Amino acid sequence: MGDITLTINDAPVTGQDGMTILEVARENGVDIPTMCYLKELSPIGACRLCVVEVEGSRNLVGSCHTPITEGMVIQTHSPRVVTARRMVVELMMANHPDNCLVCDAANQCELRQVAADLDVGLPSFKLKKHYYPIEDISPYLVRDLGKCILCQRCIRACDEIAKQKVFNLAYRGFDCKVIVDLDQPVDKEVCRDCDVCVSVCPTVALRKPKKQGEEKKGPPLILSQ
Amino acid sequence: MARVNSPKELEGLRQQILSERDPNKPCIAICAGIGCLACGAAKVVTVFKQEVEKQGLKLDVDIKETGCPGFCERGPIVVIYPEEICYLQVQPEDVPEIISQTIKEKKVIDRLLYIDPTTGEKSTYESEIPFYKNQHRLLIGQNIKIDPRSIDDYIALGGYKALAKALCAMTPEQVMEEVDKANLRGRGGGGFPAGAKWKTTRDAPGEPKYVIVNADEGDPGAFMDRSLLEGNPHSVIEGLVIGAYAIGSHEGFVYVRQEYPLAVENINIAIKQAGEYGLLGKNILGSGFDFVIDVHRGAGAFVSGESSALMTAIEGRVGEPRPKYIRTAVSGVWDKPSNLNNVETWANVPLIIDRGADWFRSIGTEGSKGTKIFSLVGKVNNTGLVEVPMGVTLRSIIYDIGGGIPGGKKFKAVQTGGPSGGMIPEQYLDASVDFDELTKLDSMMGSGGMIVMDEDTCVVDVARYFIDFLCDESCGKCVPCREGLKHMREILNDIVGGRGKQGDIELLEGLSRVMKKASLCALGQTAPNPVLTTINYFRDEYEAHIEEKRCPALVCKELISYHIDPDKCKACMICGRECPVSAISGGKGLIHIIDQEKCTRCGTCFDVCPTRFRAVKKISGEPVPAPVPEAERVLVRGNK
Repeated sequence: MGDITLTINDAPVTGQDGMTILEVARENGVDIPTMCYLKELSPIGACRLCVVEVEGSRNLVGSCHTPITEGMVIQTHSPRVVTARRMVVELMMANHPDNCLVCDAANQCELRQVAADLDVGLPSFKLKKHYYPIEDISPYLVRDLGKCILCQRCIRACDEIAKQKVFNLAYRGFDCKVIVDLDQPVDKEVCRDCDVCVSVCPTVALRKPKKQGEEKKGPPLILSQ
Repeated sequence: MARVNSPKELEGLRQQILSERDPNKPCIAICAGIGCLACGAAKVVTVFKQEVEKQGLKLDVDIKETGCPGFCERGPIVVIYPEEICYLQVQPEDVPEIISQTIKEKKVIDRLLYIDPTTGEKSTYESEIPFYKNQHRLLIGQNIKIDPRSIDDYIALGGYKALAKALCAMTPEQVMEEVDKANLRGRGGGGFPAGAKWKTTRDAPGEPKYVIVNADEGDPGAFMDRSLLEGNPHSVIEGLVIGAYAIGSHEGFVYVRQEYPLAVENINIAIKQAGEYGLLGKNILGSGFDFVIDVHRGAGAFVSGESSALMTAIEGRVGEPRPKYIRTAVSGVWDKPSNLNNVETWANVPLIIDRGADWFRSIGTEGSKGTKIFSLVGKVNNTGLVEVPMGVTLRSIIYDIGGGIPGGKKFKAVQTGGPSGGMIPEQYLDASVDFDELTKLDSMMGSGGMIVMDEDTCVVDVARYFIDFLCDESCGKCVPCREGLKHMREILNDIVGGRGKQGDIELLEGLSRVMKKASLCALGQTAPNPVLTTINYFRDEYEAHIEEKRCPALVCKELISYHIDPDKCKACMICGRECPVSAISGGKGLIHIIDQEKCTRCGTCFDVCPTRFRAVKKISGEPVPAPVPEAERVLVRGNK
């Protein structure tokens, strides 16, 4: 475990062997936005929000899954990187319901926060949304897949933290979605009341059921980053 | 079958096979590759067998079903040995004549030979046909001589000699050095030097190590790997074992698409036969080296051709790429070092070991050595498989080998590298075909698909087709590829549908740049290539679609109208009868008029209008001329 020196945004920094670019950057106060990444879960590099420019690399690299190497020169906020990030959020927004005003996540929504931080504005694409029925037959979990941005946090949390593997991905491309069993609505049988997935969902596609007239108790649980 | 225990016994076996075969005995080789089978080769084979029996020649003639020699345009192909007479487009009814004339009386049947469309010259032998003459067929040249289900055929032609040489006369390091020196670059598209990749896997910590054949060929219109695996599976196995020996691996996988049933069947038979001879399994050729091969059938996903996705699929999970911050050569299947190469790359290995790196280096260009198989398809006279040395020009492939564009049409573009490649326009036809040159033109070598397009092709429509394909094949893991392709398809659909608007081209370009830079795997990173190259080289066509609502190639349905030229219409009523929606009015002696409201632009009238009239016209970007007034509709015939 030796020290590795590298340069982030023209400033020399050091990190330990085995750390990722994102970890070193955060340790040194450089903020890289993330979506699918959670430090409790294994990185998958799906959202591409954390991309950075690494000198000598043909493409932008995902900082959440790229280990640091000696002498790496990294730009985390170059124009190329910021353009890519904005476009990524814009693409996510184009496939996300625009009912933020009445959404349960309200200001806790990570997508909304990121969109605001990056100053994304209205998407320049035609909106292309998924309309899935809300699944609310389980006493533990309500799923609104229309809000899902396929960060796969629930899949990994259920697998790695709760050790349950309730969720999985199915279908291809734009039709890709998180499924339970062979694409059944989530119900009592498959899921026990552990709430791990609810606490990691960035957009409240997963939430606890509410009874009519019940008072809303505080913000939804979100693991601190 | 007796086990072969040493190189000497292998040579003995070869001599024995050769001595049992009479070189002068007539042999009828019929291509049973997928193209010829589609043209009815199976029937031809059956009729040959019946006819030979009927004419009492059963013991005097061999009939062989072989792999694909490449000239698919003129299938089914039959080659008669020992004279090597090549007959094309053989139908079952030609069979009795071939037996009685060619086999019995040694006469050549002229009408079945290749006739040059321009000079009218006949070619009796394969080597005289211009399609073959301009090729350098190291890999597919043997296909027509080999029954892929007979290991003896392969051994008779010197097969497994390279394996014997590698295992018993060379150290793994020497094998590695030879391949490294030959500068064999990955034929799957990336062009990564195979030697370097092998070395990485060899030096990577962890046991066991795996070697994998990537036969998940998914590009539309590409069938190079298919025909190699179907036609000469032993060459791939031999290459794989040699590679495994160099790398120090004892287990290999062949990842082949389920959509290639014949390839799956043939590779399984080949593995079984090689095992029986002891060319696979324990202590191969007495060298002490063990190696086994497993065939893994892919479940039909384009993205599984990507190395990390393919390896996830082998593990039994969904074929999705993973971030490759550690190369698969170091950490692949079950996190073990795994060396993946394309079918064609592996098939090159025995040649390099057998004939030496220096010989291999003498073929090709400075940066790209050896030959490359292309599947030449689209608007070209001779479609089929083409194997050429690296560095020949696109023009030579399309015109000298491909025989040019049919119907005297003008060449417009060629798409190389499948859906992830780019379209190369006419001004770059003299570019030489190697890994680096094609990348410079924003396209890529890819696995070797080559789709030729003529002037009647709308490039926007073709770009839309490829994006449509990729959109369905994207795995959906990362945002730029999943969402980006969807929007790209949407924008292109709008443009070809006449709903394009200002700023669409810039939006496409911006989106393409982000997808290229930020996507997780090569599918997303190369997906915008068809769009970017067409915008780059044919921007005027995009502008015509968006600004003038005109399709210059007269392809995009929403932007064209059909119109009957009143001066040319002879009121023959053919189009009126054929129109599926009865949109054409007119009767005998009455000039026909298309009702533009009813017309669905299916183009039937255009196709059926007799060529001597050519009265139906496609128009785009201009208003349809007003129909002829009723008073002038009556056709006055000149001589009545």
